[in-house]
Amino acid sequence: MPAAAAPHRHLLDVAGLSWSDLKLLLDTTEAARRILRSPAGRVDALKGVGVTTLFYEASTRTRISFENAAKALGANVNSATVASSSVGKGESLVDTMKTLRALGSNVIVLRHERAGAPWLAARVFDGSVLNAGDGWHAHPTQALLDLSVLLRNIGAEDGTLRGRRVAIIGDLLHSRVVRSNLHTLRAAGAAVRLAGPPALTRGFAEAAARSGGVTLCASLAEALEGADAVMALRIQRERLDDGEVSSLESYREAWGLTEERIAAHAARGCVVLHPGPMNEGVEIDPDVADGPRSLILEQVAEGIPVRMAALWRTVRGDAPLIVPATAKVNS
Amino acid sequence: MSRPRAERTLLKEHWVLDPVSRRAGVATIEVHSGKVARLEWRDGVAEARRAFIEGAEPGPKDPTRLVLPALVDLHAHFRQPGAGASEDVASGEAAAAHGGYGAVALMPNSEPAADHPALLRELTRTTASRGVTLMPIAAATLGRAGRTLAPMAELAAAGAVAFSDDGSPIADPALFRSALITAGALDLPLIEHCEDPALTKGGEAADGLVATALGLRPWPAVGEISAVSRNIALLRDAIRDEPRARLHLTHLSTGAALDAVRVARAEGLPITCDVTPHHLSLTDAWIAGDQRWAWEYEDRHAPNLTPTADAYNTNLRVCPPLRDASDAAACRAALRDGTASAIATDHAPHSRERKEVEFGLAANGIAGIETALSTLLAARAAGELPLSLVAALLTTGPAAVLNRPALARGLAVGGPANLVVVDLGATWVPSRKTLIGRSINTPLLGKSLTGAVLLTLLNGEVAWKAE
Repeated sequence: MPAAAAPHRHLLDVAGLSWSDLKLLLDTTEAARRILRSPAGRVDALKGVGVTTLFYEASTRTRISFENAAKALGANVNSATVASSSVGKGESLVDTMKTLRALGSNVIVLRHERAGAPWLAARVFDGSVLNAGDGWHAHPTQALLDLSVLLRNIGAEDGTLRGRRVAIIGDLLHSRVVRSNLHTLRAAGAAVRLAGPPALTRGFAEAAARSGGVTLCASLAEALEGADAVMALRIQRERLDDGEVSSLESYREAWGLTEERIAAHAARGCVVLHPGPMNEGVEIDPDVADGPRSLILEQVAEGIPVRMAALWRTVRGDAPLIVPATAKVNS
Repeated sequence: MSRPRAERTLLKEHWVLDPVSRRAGVATIEVHSGKVARLEWRDGVAEARRAFIEGAEPGPKDPTRLVLPALVDLHAHFRQPGAGASEDVASGEAAAAHGGYGAVALMPNSEPAADHPALLRELTRTTASRGVTLMPIAAATLGRAGRTLAPMAELAAAGAVAFSDDGSPIADPALFRSALITAGALDLPLIEHCEDPALTKGGEAADGLVATALGLRPWPAVGEISAVSRNIALLRDAIRDEPRARLHLTHLSTGAALDAVRVARAEGLPITCDVTPHHLSLTDAWIAGDQRWAWEYEDRHAPNLTPTADAYNTNLRVCPPLRDASDAAACRAALRDGTASAIATDHAPHSRERKEVEFGLAANGIAGIETALSTLLAARAAGELPLSLVAALLTTGPAAVLNRPALARGLAVGGPANLVVVDLGATWVPSRKTLIGRSINTPLLGKSLTGAVLLTLLNGEVAWKAE
């Protein structure tokens, strides 16, 4: 299929998606939500389409929500787990893609520990590739679900995030979530304030200086100032081994999200997000994670309709996702 | 294998540039019995000398066929023995001839490493069916492992033209100093790949905007700079014991490292360096799919960072990594002011299996010996490098680094007919069809290049000829 005929055959990235591209995905998400709420909870819109989740890294929520999303659209779903993509161990990614194609997969949902792996996969696969997270680089459906949740909770009247401040705190360097969120949040018009330990914000000062609407802050308090939403990022134990963080206690002391800090600096009604999985008591306190500001479970639930929209869009292009009449009645 | 000798070759009214005799202009060359039998400057010798001094370039009314002395490469990998799927001496030699090269120094990164005299003799005996002069660079340490010096005297006797552990920088400073002194006593240079692996471990792309945007592990400039600084300090110390010690730093890629060499040369230290065609002409933004020549940026820090469908092309994975437009500009500036005295291809062929993988898992290296001249002619067309300098950096420059003036004897009547004919007006597109090396891992695949090699003559015989 020529690329020009299907510009969204793959979902590799949110970088480069315009606001209208994002709006179309969010509108499709709305239709998907109505399908999920219908009595059947599913449709046959992608009947006969083979969707394979191919994960080179462990994942619970992303994988299951992609699989549930594909099932809710009537697709045939199967999954492949690969322990490692190291050279010389097992089958290459390219060969795996060809094998899956021969086995009838039309859509590959790929999670990989190396940045750019979905680009390689897309170049050798004549179906669709959806990026479910590539190394430090991108996590498109996470950014879409975060955007959807933020628009619902703190959206401006014009349906954007104009005039809203979103803080993202933590390990920026290793985070695909922050990289993808920067694109979607800026496309939505939000002002983004970043902060984290200096060893873990490497490169982001230069990147922020170059892009309008993004500020790298020196402290948690500064980043939280006037924030309408704050997202904590997961801190991984490897960061201690690499000497980038001296201890989890000192991390919490400087960068942990606590109710006191949010209340002291953020806007009233500031909401809290976390892409999961959380280290409660480190980057986020349990009472914040479970408290009234938290949208964390809403984020998890949002994953299914957003991934339905992503699957629909890559397979069927701009065609509208039709919600059965009974579903409309019940919605 | 010997080739039928072309009895006579007549190159009528070509634009000829010879950095050895220092002449330029329209001339007719006749080759006979392997030698330059006739060389007639249309406007006379005095005018050709004046034209060279004034930096004359072929103009729109001049012939588009350019003749240069055959090129010399300081740094190539022909993968023999050990990796015949990527390249071997025969395929590498053919690629070199297509690139216009008549002499190539081969790095010792073979399997096993070129650390034994028998291996060097084997390599030079394998030769050279097209007549390209192959010059082995021997490993400086056994197995390129950085623990024990290789038998340098025996390796020199077996034909080593230099020593290097290319790809595996010598970490131990005392061993590095010993290598410098031992090579110096043999009147051979030590060639060093400058990298501090503790700083660059896992690095996938130059630390900077592109790596940040694409989520690639950063390879910081200081990973090169700190090694360069250390090696300069060790050279300064070593020449107290062995004044003949010479250090050549290969494929420098950062403005700061080139600055350090500039200062060291001003101090009088016996140090030289080269840069590669790719570091001076490409940027890390190519990894995102922004495929502009490095000199085409108005703002050197404004690459397009949104990955295109071509993004993460592993043919761009190279060590040291491609950097931003300002570092590429620093490479060209270093060539212009003489800080860097040679262009070396670092021709590093890799089979598809080693490149058709995830970016961070791909082997480092660009197969560049067939596209070097076209790349440099693009820089010349953009006004970045004068033609006479390009010619010198590809001939007399590398010959001087190796202290072997015979490698670049220029175009003289009675001398060997080692020359390359380039059509400055012809465009060509690197592809599996047009490249003749075994591996085609170049980011220039599919790009239209101007300046095609029509003919390479070595000792008057056709080493490569366009159909």
